[in-house]
Amino acid sequence: MQVEKKTIPGGIDVYVIPTTKFKTVLVTVLLRQLLSKETASKTALLPSVMERGSKDYPTYRDLMIRLEELYGAGFSSDVLKMGEKQVLSFSFEVINDQYAPGKDLLRQATEVLHSVLHRPLLENGGFKREYVEQEKEQLAKEIKGLINDKVNYALERCIQEMCKEEPFGVYKYGSLDELDQITPETLYAYYSQLFAENPLDVYIVGAIEPELAFALAEELFARSNGQRRRNLPPDQVHKIPGEVHYYKEKLPVNQGKLTLGYRTNTAYRDDDYVSLLFYNGVLGGFPHSKLFQNVREKASLAYYAFSRLEKHKGIQLIGSGIEMKNYERALEIITEQVELLKKGVVSRDEMENTRRGLINHFKLIADSPYNMLALSLDGLLGEKQVGLDYYLRRLEEIKVDDVVATAHKVYLDTVYFLCAEGEVKA
Amino acid sequence: MKQLMDWTVRENKLLQEKIFHTIVEPGLNLYVLPKKGYNKKYAIFSTRFGSIDNVFRVLGKDGEEKIVVPDGVAHFLEHKLFDDEEGNVFDRFAVYGASTNAFTSFTHTTYLFSCTDFFPENFELLLEFVQNPYFTDESVAKEQGIIQQEIRMYEDNPQWRVYFNLLSILYQHHPVRNDIAGTIESIGKITKEILYKCYETFYHPRNMAVFVTGDVSPEDVGAQVAGSLARRSHAPLYGIERIYPQEQAVVLEQKIVQELSVSLPLVNIGFKDPYNYLEGRELLYRELAAELLLEMIFSKSEPLYNSLYEDGLIDEKFSASYVGEVTYGYSLLGGETRDPDALHARIMEGIEEVRKKGLSRDAFFRHRSKMQGEFLRSFNSLEFIANNYLAYRFKGIDFFDIFNTLGEISLSSVEELLEEHFQEKLHAISIIKPVQR
Repeated sequence: MQVEKKTIPGGIDVYVIPTTKFKTVLVTVLLRQLLSKETASKTALLPSVMERGSKDYPTYRDLMIRLEELYGAGFSSDVLKMGEKQVLSFSFEVINDQYAPGKDLLRQATEVLHSVLHRPLLENGGFKREYVEQEKEQLAKEIKGLINDKVNYALERCIQEMCKEEPFGVYKYGSLDELDQITPETLYAYYSQLFAENPLDVYIVGAIEPELAFALAEELFARSNGQRRRNLPPDQVHKIPGEVHYYKEKLPVNQGKLTLGYRTNTAYRDDDYVSLLFYNGVLGGFPHSKLFQNVREKASLAYYAFSRLEKHKGIQLIGSGIEMKNYERALEIITEQVELLKKGVVSRDEMENTRRGLINHFKLIADSPYNMLALSLDGLLGEKQVGLDYYLRRLEEIKVDDVVATAHKVYLDTVYFLCAEGEVKA
Repeated sequence: MKQLMDWTVRENKLLQEKIFHTIVEPGLNLYVLPKKGYNKKYAIFSTRFGSIDNVFRVLGKDGEEKIVVPDGVAHFLEHKLFDDEEGNVFDRFAVYGASTNAFTSFTHTTYLFSCTDFFPENFELLLEFVQNPYFTDESVAKEQGIIQQEIRMYEDNPQWRVYFNLLSILYQHHPVRNDIAGTIESIGKITKEILYKCYETFYHPRNMAVFVTGDVSPEDVGAQVAGSLARRSHAPLYGIERIYPQEQAVVLEQKIVQELSVSLPLVNIGFKDPYNYLEGRELLYRELAAELLLEMIFSKSEPLYNSLYEDGLIDEKFSASYVGEVTYGYSLLGGETRDPDALHARIMEGIEEVRKKGLSRDAFFRHRSKMQGEFLRSFNSLEFIANNYLAYRFKGIDFFDIFNTLGEISLSSVEELLEEHFQEKLHAISIIKPVQR
């Protein structure tokens, strides 16, 4: 995948990934901010308030009608938590010229994006009060709504307990307390500062000449040169926990949800990150992995049992849904699998299947504009801009010893169990 | 000797895609959509056997007795095909770096894999494991444990519950009112004999189809499928008569409420489309017209959505969609809300208001071209193309026709639907309330 980069006035980096493979062109603007309990809700609230109204599209309806006129262009804004950063993403996807000749949908859509980002609807020195109040309401619902998806809830709660003294323990939408303090004026001041000072990147993926894309981005997104930071400080990754913390939370649920939080002491930015990918793959990233095979296939205890990485923070989570009475047994089987990896009990098949699986995963990135963007974003956050070739080469090189070396840096920190009232022996 | 296959090629100029179709002995429909430049190859093997197919007759056999199987058999069978004498199929795909999976819907079961390398090896595995049933008493018992946990997981999933609860009252008899996975009780009744019986019936090549997409050659794919099928002997299948109860143009009940540990109530509102059988173009036209109608009333560019949002009754995940299958159809509206009854009332008033004011011509064209644009955009995804192509094929519809059929939908047909679709006696509401502790 070819990536062209140009810095435009205002310290904004524009990346163009030219490809004719897709039926669409994707334009995304990414803004990065540190995750902290003082600002997480403000950051999270911004995109929804900005979407509600700009000078050119003063109501949400106006914006939606405009999108429909652009042949049903896709517009989305989102807040992502990636390690100890929040990333605001504003994306447009339009049909490329080949399928809608002469319409210049890309330019029109980029203008709409510009309007949402840089021409907000204001009143009395702040965002429009009505919109801010309504969006605060909606975000509050979102924060309270974490509990609705029990699988995710159990993972998130484990992180919150495990990292309560670290920024990573902050929920991606922040807290109700912080949200409550926000006013239209403070939010606008925050917006102005964020868009002037924080790292801002523009991505354009699709059938477009890089020169044309740069020109379009420069015309619409360039700002006056100020004091924009190009990077944010790195995440706190290294930690050797003392004794393991155990938490049980009771809710009226039908299935118990077990989550284990590990410190891997290895993050995306590190050279041995690829070994960690292997470690995670052998343990619980695939159906051939130890967790799926032993918890589900052999012991028949669960429908799902997986491990996944919070790659920038260097945390690994293991999750499984089980009968409450099987808590001890499941915990024992899971921790045993981790021990086996430390001892180097990894079969040739487990290694090679994981290698192929990961290679497959990385090759697939080139088939989706969103995945290409995600890889690039990982590069920005980890300050390690490496392409697919790097991964494909490194994945071929990893040996069992590398995986075992990584395994020895992994420590269990927290065990969290979501269960129903009165059904579990502690 | 290599046999030359008879391919039909359909080109869609607007989508700039070509699809190759052939029938492989003894009657399997094979589709190939070459996608140059993609690393991914994606293949699916589907049978028209879903959770609703639990009463049937096999034609041309002695007696042609009516067979009734426990709820959840199609899904159980899907799980079981991943095991055979030699163990677990996942492991074999893993050797070639592929990821494999399967899903069971109300109407069909689909086995799939995606890979970047070793396509022929992976494709062979797919063809083999789907055609190689192996069930023992022991392996059936083991799977009961796993599926029980799958059912438990869904019992705690409010989105899932609100939806299945709605279907359970929208329909009086039709098996769409039962959960796809069945119940812990019903799956306890599944035996290896029942699995074999269903397998022999519904996994006959004549009841199945294969779709392959990615940078592949139709000739090679065709030869491989023909080779795999030729190695097996299939008794002739004269037909399957699927027996569905007749539904009346009423709902079973109008309201169902369940408590779960959620932060806010969830609501699903359904309008049953009272047909008992529709397929092909007629079904597609109805489906698209209904979707267009829902767009014109409930989409984010319409006043109703915006006033509900501003009053805090819905959030941006509020959705309205139409489901049109051969033996049933309905509209589904819903999302999270602080006040289910108020939302319900406002939706009914909103529909009434649109009825009084009528549909605008400008909005009609705008929504129609939006739907066409979204359809085109979705062609970036190989999974989307393949999964939908076969799902529509089983309804007698060519998926490529959607774009043009959308263009043929008239404002007056949407207006007619507006008059007939939202009937009081055909609608029901399902609510999940926060547990009172």
